[in-house]
Order: sequence, then C-alpha cells, then structure tokens
Amino acid sequence: MDRTLVVLLFASLSAATAVLGAGPFAFGQRLPQSRIGFANAVASGMMLGAAYGLLVAGFARGLLAVACGAVLGIVFVAWTHSASGTEELDLNKLEGGSEAYGYQVLLVNSLHSASEGVAIGAAMAVSQPFGIFMALAIAVHNVPEATVLCAILTGRGVRVSSAAGLAVAANVSQVLLAIVAYAIVQAAPGTLPWALGFAMGALVQLVMSELLPESYRQSGSRSIALVTMVAMGIVVLLQSIAA
Amino acid sequence: MSAVVTVFVYGLVTAVATGLGALPFALIRTISPRAVALANAVAGGLMLGASFGIVAEGTGYGAWQTLAGGLLGVVFILVTQQRLGDPNVAIAGAATADGRRMALIVIVMTVHSFAEGVAVGVAFGGGPTLALAITVAIAVHNVPEGLAISAVLRPRGMTVLACAAWSIFSSLPQPVMAVPAFLFVETFRSALPYGLGFAAGAMVFMVLEELLPEAYDRASRARVAVVVSLTLVGMMLFQRVL
Repeated sequence: MDRTLVVLLFASLSAATAVLGAGPFAFGQRLPQSRIGFANAVASGMMLGAAYGLLVAGFARGLLAVACGAVLGIVFVAWTHSASGTEELDLNKLEGGSEAYGYQVLLVNSLHSASEGVAIGAAMAVSQPFGIFMALAIAVHNVPEATVLCAILTGRGVRVSSAAGLAVAANVSQVLLAIVAYAIVQAAPGTLPWALGFAMGALVQLVMSELLPESYRQSGSRSIALVTMVAMGIVVLLQSIAA
Repeated sequence: MSAVVTVFVYGLVTAVATGLGALPFALIRTISPRAVALANAVAGGLMLGASFGIVAEGTGYGAWQTLAGGLLGVVFILVTQQRLGDPNVAIAGAATADGRRMALIVIVMTVHSFAEGVAVGVAFGGGPTLALAITVAIAVHNVPEGLAISAVLRPRGMTVLACAAWSIFSSLPQPVMAVPAFLFVETFRSALPYGLGFAAGAMVFMVLEELLPEAYDRASRARVAVVVSLTLVGMMLFQRVL
C-alpha cells in the first residue's frame, strides 16, 4: 500500500477512536472524576513515551533543528492556549459554566489534534511501524479527551450521538496535518528533524500544561505518578523492542 | 582509583549545590511560593531530560533490564516515603516549625538523597558525558531542596551558615552512595541497565509525584509547563552536544 494511504488510514483510525469516548454516555452512565483522572494519566504517560521516541529519532538526524523545532512546538501550543483564551480552562468542570465553555473545549480539542497530526506524519516518515505506533498512542489519548468533551456537551443538552460526532469532527485537523506533515517531509527530507522536534515539543507542552495538572486535581499525586510511569514504561519498552 | 575520586567529587558537587539553597535567606526572610514553584519546574525539566538520556543509554544495553531497574527505583522511593512520611507536609508547615519538624525535614531530605547518589554513580558506568549531565541535573534539583530545608530552619533563628550546612548535610549520602553504586556497575557490567533504570525510575517518580504537583499548586500551570518543557529540551540537547 502507498505510504500516504497508510498515513491517511491510521490518522483517520486514531481520529475515529474519539467515538469510543462517548461510550459511557450511550448507556446513560456518569463517569466518576477519578476515572477521567487516571485516563488522563495514562494518556500523559503514553504521550511522554511518544515524545521520548520522537526525540531519540530526531537527534539521530540533527541536533539544532530538533531543538529549534521543539521550541516552536512548545511556543505553538502555549500561544494557541493563550490566544484562544483557554490557558487556564478547567476541563474538569463538567457542569455549570457558560454556553461558550462547551465550544471552548471543542476548540481546545481541535487545536490539540493539529499538533498530534504532525506527530503521526513525522513518525510515519521515520518508519512505518513507528508511525503506526504513534497513531495508536494518540488514539488511546483521544478516548478520554472525547469522554470529557462528551460529558460537557451532553450536560448542555447535546444528544449523545451528536456529541460523539463533534468529538470526531474535532479530530479532523489531526488527519489533515498528518498527511500534510508527511507530504512535506517526504518532499523536503531536511525538514524531518524540525517536524520531529515540533511534534515532541508540542506533545510535552500538552502533557505539562493540561493533562498532568488536571489529573493531579482528580486523584492523588502518588497514584497519578504511578499510572503515568507504567504507561510511559510500556511505550518506551515497546519502542525499544521494535527498534 | 582516580575514577573513584572523580565519582566522589561529582557527588560532593551535587551535595554542595544544596547549600546554595540557603543563600537567598541571607537577603530576605521568606521566599515567594512562585519562585519555589518555578525552581521546582526547572529541576523537574532537567531531571526528566536527564532520565530520557539515561533510558536511551540503558535500553541500548537491554530494554527489559532497564524497565525492571525503573520499577525498583519507584519501589525504593515508595518504601522510603512509607517509612518517613510525606516530606511535603514538613515543607508546607514551615511557618509553625518546631524542633521536631526541623529534625524531620533534615532526615527526610537525607534519605531522599540516597537514590540521587546512586543515580550519579550509575551514570558514570554509562560514560563521562552521561555522568556530567546527571550530575548537573541533580545539582540543580538540590538547590530548591536546600531552599526548602532553609525555609524551615531559618525562621527558627538558625544562621544562614547553619542552614547551608544542614542543607549540604542532607545531601551527603550523594557522594557516599555514588562510589559504591559506581563500583557495583563497573564490577558487574550486566547490572548497568538495571542501575540506569533504577536512576531513571527514581528520578521520574520524584518529578511526577513531588516536584510537578507542588509547582502547579504555587504558579500558573501555563508558566510551569513552558519552563518544564523548555528545560527538558535544553537538557536533552546539552547531553547530546557534550
């Protein structure tokens, strides 16, 4: 199969897993906060492990380009947060809040998936197994992200099926940017270390500015640290075995 | 023999860095929580970056062994915490410090240093570059630790010099533990990935369990995140450039 199709396939698969996040609400269940906290901790660990893989792959191809790309990724995520006014947005707040809050969360999710798409595209350019691995890691992260979004949207009267649809739609930028990033690094291989660095910086900044601080509020720091480390350990182990 | 001396000296450098934490108290009575938070964020980023470097080194020798070592590192920190109670409690209660609290924070921080000493020693098994990187990370991490100790001791009327001395004392296990850890991985080369994993596991756990939650409590999470991410990248670059 053409590699671009593989990128399309796995990026779409990763985007579509957001549907699973709506699962609990289809059965009319309410999620306990601590479970979302642990899901976020798992996502943090996987993304930190993925960032480690991106960094190792990047540094094998160029030092300064990776570092500059990483700074760009960090600045990009930090800037989109402050520019969209979602810097201190509390995604734990499932009830209350204004109507605009639901849309803000939707906006945050689509901004996130843009940098996640770059990660998939850049990883796919390194090697196909690494790219598929990255897509799967981000797919796992998309589930709790969608769960939080669906909890907020259904709390505001949106039907469960529509909420699930919006959660997937928020990930469209992921598919788009995965293909664009892949096409660019294929056409100009010199940009690959930049893309790897960018994706790495963006993932770490996402984890540090959102996933971790939120999970600490939902559960004790010791259990969050343990869950994060187990997820990170598994990801790093799988990467080293595959390499 | 000279290698052992080098390891000891590197361990001593990280210990002396703890004393730097007492310096701000020469000028001011108290320190703003935000400054402590950002110092923690810098230390967190450096330690995560150092751990990434250690893991990259360790998985080169064996991925499973590194992971097993990491598990040991986490268990070690958990067990010592269980024995001594939560150091965060002692730091938070700085204002109501009494003799017992003063003793407690020094003891907790001292035991805390054992794993860091092992990290310095094991890193030497992975080569001088890795050793230098880990030493810098731990030395910087020690500064806010010295700050925390001094914040408890200084309001009780201790001199700045005494604060610095107790801070350095709390890190003395670092040179002491670094040497046997280094000799161990030198003698049993097959133990190296376990040792590297131990160091990385212990450091990442400390970052996730203590440094980051404390930092988020006292400063805006956007600022903490940028500081952690940038220092992580800087640390990785530093390790590669050397």
